[in-house]
Amino acid sequence: MFSVFGITDPAIWIGYVLAIGLALACIIYGAVNWNKGAKDHGS
Amino acid sequence: MAVDPLTTAILVVVYVAITLVLGYLGYKKTVHAEDYLLAGRASHPVVIALSYGATFISTSAIVGFGGVAANLGMGMIWLTVFNIGIGILLAFVVFGKKTREKGAETGALTFPDLMGKIFHTPKLQLISGIIILLGMPLYTAAVLIGGARFLETTLSISYTTALLGFAVVVAMYVIYGGLIAVMYTDAFQGAIMLIGMTILLILTYIYVGGVTAGNSALAAMSDMVPEALIGQGMTGWASMPELGSPIWYTLITTLVLGVGIGVLAQPQLVVRFMTAKENRSLNRAVLVGGPFILMMTGVAFTVGALTNVYFYQHTGKIAVVAAGGNVDSVIPLYINMAMPDLFVIIFMLTLLSAAMSTLSSLFHTMGSALVCDIWGRGQKCAISLRANQIGCVIMMVISVVLALAMPEGIIARATAMFMGLCASAFLPAFAVGVYAKKPSRAGAMASMIIGAAIWFLWTVFVHTAEAKVLGISQTLTGAVTILGAPWTVIDPLIIALPVSLVVMILFQFQSRNDVKTT
Repeated sequence: MFSVFGITDPAIWIGYVLAIGLALACIIYGAVNWNKGAKDHGS
Repeated sequence: MAVDPLTTAILVVVYVAITLVLGYLGYKKTVHAEDYLLAGRASHPVVIALSYGATFISTSAIVGFGGVAANLGMGMIWLTVFNIGIGILLAFVVFGKKTREKGAETGALTFPDLMGKIFHTPKLQLISGIIILLGMPLYTAAVLIGGARFLETTLSISYTTALLGFAVVVAMYVIYGGLIAVMYTDAFQGAIMLIGMTILLILTYIYVGGVTAGNSALAAMSDMVPEALIGQGMTGWASMPELGSPIWYTLITTLVLGVGIGVLAQPQLVVRFMTAKENRSLNRAVLVGGPFILMMTGVAFTVGALTNVYFYQHTGKIAVVAAGGNVDSVIPLYINMAMPDLFVIIFMLTLLSAAMSTLSSLFHTMGSALVCDIWGRGQKCAISLRANQIGCVIMMVISVVLALAMPEGIIARATAMFMGLCASAFLPAFAVGVYAKKPSRAGAMASMIIGAAIWFLWTVFVHTAEAKVLGISQTLTGAVTILGAPWTVIDPLIIALPVSLVVMILFQFQSRNDVKTT
């Protein structure tokens, strides 16, 4: 049976993939936009 | 496993000393009421992220929800998906920046003050303040009780001493140092939480034989699920419950959606966005916030589920049975049985940090709600530094009295209840308020009042978990709940939030049409 790190239920391992993926997305978002929004242009 | 009392005492004293020094630094930097309420609107991005994360994650998220994962399994990881996707990405990127801009534009100093100023009416400030003062003391009492119970067992002191000592230490830095002290100490406590949870994850996977072996062992235990849980839809600890079963509804509606969405409109978290000097700080905070939350709830839920493997290998029992049937005892028991002495102390400081960081923010938000938003509504919010300090003291005393008086059954539900109430009452009005050019004032009032009312009615008369403990439905109607399954396991938020949202949208379109026709 197909498993990811010993987990066979896709509803569980997809959850883990999404959780880790979203944390990575946060890192990428923060790095890419590191210097954006420096001035109060929005207010 | 006995932990050396001297080492424990030394580490606790050092921890409290660092906390108080950081509180003192906050006190030195607090000159004006704006410093006290919004940390002078100039917080560092890492401090914002750790403070937001540490406030977000209380003891109940680690011990309580970790215990739930020991009982219901790894499906809880979906709450982590929501915690990061909604609680960090959506919260900071979509709501955070607009909140900061509106806060700076209007000069608002608290969440209710922001609501009042966006909609140009002090009535909304008052209503928001009242909802905070009705809902937040319960949540605060829950955090206080959780922290005190934990200190009682770990330090072998009486419950009342633990409760009062805990409240007094937090009180000292919140009262004098305001939000600067709260955020400095939050960041320190957040760093300890990060260290503690990282060690917990690594050691747990070592104990169960590695990642794949541990997960496989957990999946292979599906035939050990108790009959009562199988009857309610549980299929194993490494698989989701049956779609549409009572456990599935509880997992998805109360835990994943209720807590996951509920975090969006919590006043003590929203105010963090207003402490940023510029949007750049919020972008940078996302980089720290996402991984931080993954390491908090993601680790708590994974380790919680895996304790079943550990307890089965060492005692022949599943986790909840080994813990005497008490879900809340699984994580503390596991830590004490499995972990080295030094880590038991580190984990104790991790939990103390989680409790203190949440508690300090709640004290601060309630104090400002009382002074700025109820007493001083419509005036310049920050009447004086001293008035805000007195507000904090009053709300602390009320919370401590509540914590001493409340039965534990209802307190355990308080975290999810508070989050549900906040989202149902505040979220639609808050979202439209920060985004629309001309947000509907009548819509905001109707949405907040209807959202709060429906949430209350569903909690009291339909959702079994709360209705049974509250007993109001039983007294008035003779039945624990007035509706049958599956409604009794659907969280109040799932009903109240869509209604509140529809009301806000209808009023918003109505007011737009009115503007066009005039």
